[in-house]
Amino acid sequence: MNASRFDLWLGLPLAAIALLLPFTGPSDFMLNLATLVMIWAVFAIGFDFVFGLLGMVSFGHASFLGLGGYALALATQMWGLPFCAGVSLAIVAGALCAWLFSFFALRVSGIFFALVTLALSQLLYILADSKLRAWTGGADGLPGVARPGLGGIDFFDSTLFYWYVLAVFALVMAAVVVLRRSPFGRVIAGIRQNETRAEQLGFDVHRYKQITFIVSGGISGLAGALLASLLMYVNPQMLHWTTSGDVIIMTLLGGAGTLWGPVIGVLAFEVLKEWLSGWTQYWYGILGLIFILATLFFPKGIVGELQERYGQWRDKAARRDGRIS
Amino acid sequence: MVTRIKTRPGRLLGALAVSLLFAGSAQAADPDKFKIGGVVSLSGTYGIFGEDMRKGVEVAIEQRGGKVLGKPIQVIWEDDETKPQPAVQKTTRLISEGVQVIFGAVSSASSIAIMNIAKQRKIPHLVTMSADDKITVPHGSRYTFRTSNTLGMEQRMALSFTKEQKLKRIYGVTADYQATRDSWEWYRREAEKAGVEIVGADFAPLGNRDYSSIVDKIARSNADGVALFMTGSDAVTMVKQAGQVDLGKTRKIFGPVIADETMAAGVGPASIGVYSGVRYHFSVDNPANHKFVEAFRKKYNELPSSAAGEAYDGMSWWLDTVEQTGSWDKEKWVTAFENSVRENSVEGRKAMRACDHQAMQDGLWGVVEKGVAPAPAYTMKIAKVFPPNAVFDPCQP
Amino acid sequence: MSTLIIGLSLGMLLFLLASGLTLIFGMLGVINFAHGALYMLGAYIAFDIGRHTGSFVAGLIGATVLVALAGALIERLALRPLYDRPHFYQLILTFGVILVISEVVKVVWGLGYQESTMPPALAGTVDMFGSTIPVYRLFVIGFGALVSGGLFLLIEKSTFGMLVRAASSDGEMVRLLGLPVASVRMAVFALGSGLAGLAGAIAAPLFPIELGMATNTIIDCFIVVILGGLGNIRGAVAASLLIGLVRAIGYSYMPSWVDILTFSLLIATLLTRPQGLFFRATRSA
Repeated sequence: MNASRFDLWLGLPLAAIALLLPFTGPSDFMLNLATLVMIWAVFAIGFDFVFGLLGMVSFGHASFLGLGGYALALATQMWGLPFCAGVSLAIVAGALCAWLFSFFALRVSGIFFALVTLALSQLLYILADSKLRAWTGGADGLPGVARPGLGGIDFFDSTLFYWYVLAVFALVMAAVVVLRRSPFGRVIAGIRQNETRAEQLGFDVHRYKQITFIVSGGISGLAGALLASLLMYVNPQMLHWTTSGDVIIMTLLGGAGTLWGPVIGVLAFEVLKEWLSGWTQYWYGILGLIFILATLFFPKGIVGELQERYGQWRDKAARRDGRIS
Repeated sequence: MVTRIKTRPGRLLGALAVSLLFAGSAQAADPDKFKIGGVVSLSGTYGIFGEDMRKGVEVAIEQRGGKVLGKPIQVIWEDDETKPQPAVQKTTRLISEGVQVIFGAVSSASSIAIMNIAKQRKIPHLVTMSADDKITVPHGSRYTFRTSNTLGMEQRMALSFTKEQKLKRIYGVTADYQATRDSWEWYRREAEKAGVEIVGADFAPLGNRDYSSIVDKIARSNADGVALFMTGSDAVTMVKQAGQVDLGKTRKIFGPVIADETMAAGVGPASIGVYSGVRYHFSVDNPANHKFVEAFRKKYNELPSSAAGEAYDGMSWWLDTVEQTGSWDKEKWVTAFENSVRENSVEGRKAMRACDHQAMQDGLWGVVEKGVAPAPAYTMKIAKVFPPNAVFDPCQP
Repeated sequence: MSTLIIGLSLGMLLFLLASGLTLIFGMLGVINFAHGALYMLGAYIAFDIGRHTGSFVAGLIGATVLVALAGALIERLALRPLYDRPHFYQLILTFGVILVISEVVKVVWGLGYQESTMPPALAGTVDMFGSTIPVYRLFVIGFGALVSGGLFLLIEKSTFGMLVRAASSDGEMVRLLGLPVASVRMAVFALGSGLAGLAGAIAAPLFPIELGMATNTIIDCFIVVILGGLGNIRGAVAASLLIGLVRAIGYSYMPSWVDILTFSLLIATLLTRPQGLFFRATRSA
């Protein structure tokens, strides 16, 4: 099975749609939805670094996302820094938080990793909602988060902001591809397959895990800054554990551990939600039913299942060709 | 009246397909309809209030034959799940669908978030439920108006109640939330000035589920009044658990927004005798209210809640103002509404204050009593009506 | 002293809530996110039966039985194929179940608050230690103690318990011995769910009955399960009482810090004693 050719086949039409969308005279709503999907996709890709590549279920990613959002909001509003500095700070904040979490969370594994990250992020949420009110605005949040400002370009315009986010998204995708193919990425894949073996080969497994976690946190922080900028608003709800729950579900829906899985998962989730909520008032329950059915019948997620079909098809084709020649 | 609940199925996929075919889906700007975007909570903590607001608005529209400026009115309802992020998302979507006014939300956090978008996109925004004083401040948003009560009004009535009942020792319990904390601090300051002793003050986290320790502390204190600065589930839990040790038998329980029929239904018998500010009440005696209550009962076979009444009142006022401008210019509507007075509101006279976009109005103070059908089993009785100058500070620039 | 009574009653209520979760986790290795939703369902059912029959006991039994049946159904239809897959699949599945149950509750009972009154026999108050204590609180303490004793006997001493424990430690072996592992698992899940329903029925007169119950309580349950040790019934009792007392004291002196302290304790426990505060060398039920 040739995964990278599969990724290319899947990526090309997605890239084409993303590039052409602004020229088709879409409504503001379409552009906003597309922007939202890309931002959440960045978050899901960041999350999948830990989930798909390391195979660890983290409930702490809401913290990285939320801190990223708050970093941008505070940097631009309170300290008057430019947008770019705010976004950089958001990445640093996400990474720093992940680094801090890693000291606690990486001491344990399996289900305990999920529980420790859940407890840590929930603690942060409670603090943000109550004691840190002066910084976070409490449950009311902070309105009026900045949009990027570049040489007089008005990023309040949905189309321009869309291009901005698309550029960031493309950069993140490219970075992920490079990282996955790098020696570092191969070591991570090796750790996932067999941790003991990797350790015996002389790799500092803990260190690799920690770095992956930090990278994942940084990407999530970036997504948080973009999300706050899109909504022009940030509140502690971003830090709540249900945000982590959402990203887990989206990633699994799309296919954990695959390149495009998180992206497709977010797209499917958001479109499904919009469509269902327009179609019936019982959309919540129906969404639940869809989760249940997807877990039962498409455990590998949309992209995972597709990839498998594609692999089978290629094998069959190869065999047939072999017979002919 | 055309009422559409959210978007049609397939619109999204359709739009995507159309977009991809380069057909272009330009937003038709010509006002063949008056579109209202309603962002309310239809699920989550305040789901019940959103549902009632929808009912109120629908009666308001029906009463005017479903039309304004000679065009049919269409309301697109969206559910913000009682969370600000979906509220922002849904508002952005509604604005791109070309709504002429945004109505909502329920929770103050959502309303404040919406307020900023409305300001930036220059779309009028009508608030009839959220009570946070931050929504209407001088030099706030040109586009946001509130026709309903503020927490500031309710806290003044609570203070006045304290003085009138000659309560001497108050125990305060406050939800650990900025608006309620501010409100409590104001009350505490003013009460102490009036010679009232504050014998205890507790701040419980929002969403707290057990108040029995606090109730026990109050029961053991010598307080003769219990001031509760909280609402929603917190209020229901607190009052219900206070009832379990009959706290209300020996002490006056009251609060700015501690009770209405919706909350009393969750509390049960323990809600009887609890005093609270009331946003709107179906028993208000004036022709406009009689007409509304009758229409509401006919349509829904129930009495309007305060959420429904406030929503009806604000929306009717807004639509009448729009009608009077005879124009489709949003700026004209905003300017007209800024200076409008509603003599025949369901709560008596209401006057919009240009400086902060808050409607000056009477303050209603009520107490929960046993209701007689068709009223709910536990229903508010208006105990006192405060004139506007008693519940509002002059607007300070 | 009254703080002690309040703490005990809070603790016992927590235990009733968390016991089902810890049972299911300990025996089946399933993290049931929908436990809070089942608890909510129990409260609504008890409220509705109570409203129509006027009987508190009927509500108690009805809620337990019906929620147990719902649990059996969930196990049979959805969870059974997932036992061999990683934990996170159960997580999404049970998350889906929360949404479905909440929708059902919304359709049947509406969005508003509901209220269920205490049975007249338990509605009074008694004066103890200079405080007025609701009789119902004392009832909750007694009832919780009874249930924990019963559960302990069932799991540790009965044949059913032996079968369950055997199935949980080596399901394949038990199956090869010709014992009905699938039915045992279903029974355990139904029992755990029934306990959630029972907790809902007991909690109904104390709290407002509303849709928020489903998500509000699940984190509390997790705290107890973690502090008590995953799957440890005795630990769950101890942890619930500890949390109950800490909360009762905390709410008396510094209510706004209670949650922060609880979570800090939780993290400390996870790091230093991941098997729970009350772990002893051998795992018990």
